[in-house]
Amino acid sequence: MLGHYLTAFSTIFLPQNLLALCLGGLWGLMAGALPGISTSMGVVLLTPFTYSMSPLTAFTILVSAYCGGITGGSITSILFGIPGEPSSVPTVIEGHSLAKQGRAAYALWIFLLCSIGGGLFSVFVMMAATPLIANFALRFGPPEYFALTILGLSVVSGLSGGSILKGLISCLFGIFLATIGTDGITGVERFTFGTTILLGGISFVTAMVGLLAVSEIFIEAEEPFQEYKGSAYYRGMKGEMPKVSEFKKNWLTLTKSPIIGTIIGALPGAGATIAAFLAYGEAARTSKQPEKFGNGAVDGLMAAECANNASTGGSMTILLSLGIPGSNTTAMLIAAFMIHGLQPGPLLLNQRPDVVYGVFVAMLMANLFLLGLTIVGIRIFLQLNRLPYSVFSAAIMILCVVGAFGLSNNMDDLYLMFAFGLIGYYMRKYGFPIAPAVLGLVLGNLAELSLRRTLLLSLGDPLILVSRPISAILMAAAVFSIVYPLFKKPKALKGV
Amino acid sequence: MEFFVKRDEIIADVFIIAFFAFMLIHAMELRFVRRIGEMGSGFWPILALSASLLLSIILLISNLIRFQREKKQASEEVLISPEGKIDLKNRRKKFALSVISLLGYIIIMPWIGFVLSTLIYVFAFILALGERRRFVLALSPFLVTALAVIVFAKFISMPLPKGVNIFAAFSRLIY
Repeated sequence: MLGHYLTAFSTIFLPQNLLALCLGGLWGLMAGALPGISTSMGVVLLTPFTYSMSPLTAFTILVSAYCGGITGGSITSILFGIPGEPSSVPTVIEGHSLAKQGRAAYALWIFLLCSIGGGLFSVFVMMAATPLIANFALRFGPPEYFALTILGLSVVSGLSGGSILKGLISCLFGIFLATIGTDGITGVERFTFGTTILLGGISFVTAMVGLLAVSEIFIEAEEPFQEYKGSAYYRGMKGEMPKVSEFKKNWLTLTKSPIIGTIIGALPGAGATIAAFLAYGEAARTSKQPEKFGNGAVDGLMAAECANNASTGGSMTILLSLGIPGSNTTAMLIAAFMIHGLQPGPLLLNQRPDVVYGVFVAMLMANLFLLGLTIVGIRIFLQLNRLPYSVFSAAIMILCVVGAFGLSNNMDDLYLMFAFGLIGYYMRKYGFPIAPAVLGLVLGNLAELSLRRTLLLSLGDPLILVSRPISAILMAAAVFSIVYPLFKKPKALKGV
Repeated sequence: MEFFVKRDEIIADVFIIAFFAFMLIHAMELRFVRRIGEMGSGFWPILALSASLLLSIILLISNLIRFQREKKQASEEVLISPEGKIDLKNRRKKFALSVISLLGYIIIMPWIGFVLSTLIYVFAFILALGERRRFVLALSPFLVTALAVIVFAKFISMPLPKGVNIFAAFSRLIY
């Protein structure tokens, strides 16, 4: 294990990887900070350009963008009162209140130090937990893999937003999309209708770019013409550094929140938003000054920031060890692994330890780099917020087009991207969440293959799925994961 | 406004049902394509499409019930709000223009090359979005295209479309 870490550390300091860390971090910060681009969209837009990179450089840039996106969401929350990410809503409440009181730099320091602290804590948990979980999961056979994939698909309830029914339909649509193309076992064409475009199946990246990014631009295009204005509250970061005593005073919040964030992040489909709200709610419950909540409570800001960044390590732990996405962005990362010929899950640690340990070290370094990148980046993002949105949208659309085209230098991919853009637009219009469709597309093939192998093993008896203990537990967890949110909504999220 | 949205939602539900039903009928043809002892190529799509169809029907029924209930409660004012109609028309127009400009961009790119098509697209798209400031309309297509060419064609060396004939010759001057 030590050897893997030493190799990973020596590789991460190669110039191309250091550049990947910086560019990924800045891109992620920008995606998180600018309203209209989310962290998952930032990762999706980067994915096609990583195709020609080595897997380690590719995942360095992607995880750096992931960590940067979660961090960046809070910059606009504090300075503009606009949550760049849904997980930044508690930061808007407390951080923006502090900014309005003339303490923007102080709020930014608190957010930055707590984000980095929460992120680093979760990375250490990820480093310790991933090999343990992956080693346990090595004893899995086809039935367990199928159950695991179903558990992965069950996160749909967490990714559905409003309607679980629509989330399920969206996920099943994604599973259907995954069946298009030539069947790997029988060699028969499925749903290609005689076209050659669909023979090889639907490219994850083309579909993701269309469904997530192009559709978002179509939605934004409908809005009345707008320009974003810079914040009047930012005067620089000097002179408002919080004292150590303030962190000592809130040691309990600073201990509990990263733990909450990491655990919630590791729950399939829960992600940063629920983590931030739960930690914020817990801080409000145990605060010595609960009356300050809503008016710039420092402990509330600390709790939310520690927890939302800590969720990244939790989500990555179950992604790397089990292949299950803990959030929207990690669902997109599965596709990134697949285009590099890798399947996240228990076997990845044995087959490509260089990539897994590389991701650990990249996340560790990304969190450290973000401290400097954020301080440097704040002024750039404020300037970018002054760009006309129309120009910004056009630039993003060109990024989509080049990304979809560049994957295989094929114009057909652009027509597919366009079609998925329209599908995504109508899905959003009628309240069908996009993330479950991407999840279905990414995991659908694996689910089908493992089910076919399972039934071959059991001579067609489906009871094998519930007669083996691990498989039965995973299937029960999947059912619970879908059914539980129908009846229960976390208290902290009520009314949001 | 609400009335139109709800009616559109019902139409969308019917379309979704028709789509899944059509695909399910097609999937049925695959159910006997299999190797010995294996569940075959049709099993999984049939399973997914049947579940999709069932859930879509449930969604349609629940929306119809809600639609009927809200239709009775809605006042005449809400049903035919003229501001709502104008807003909806403007939104649809901007959406249609963005879609047409993107489709046009994709169609003309292999013929006239990446540089010229991007210049035209950026101009058309920001115009469609409502940008009317002359300096933004004049400068941004050149800036965005230049940035794209520097990053993708020069820095990453991506083989972007060059176009045909004279357009190809023009593109070769740049990348």
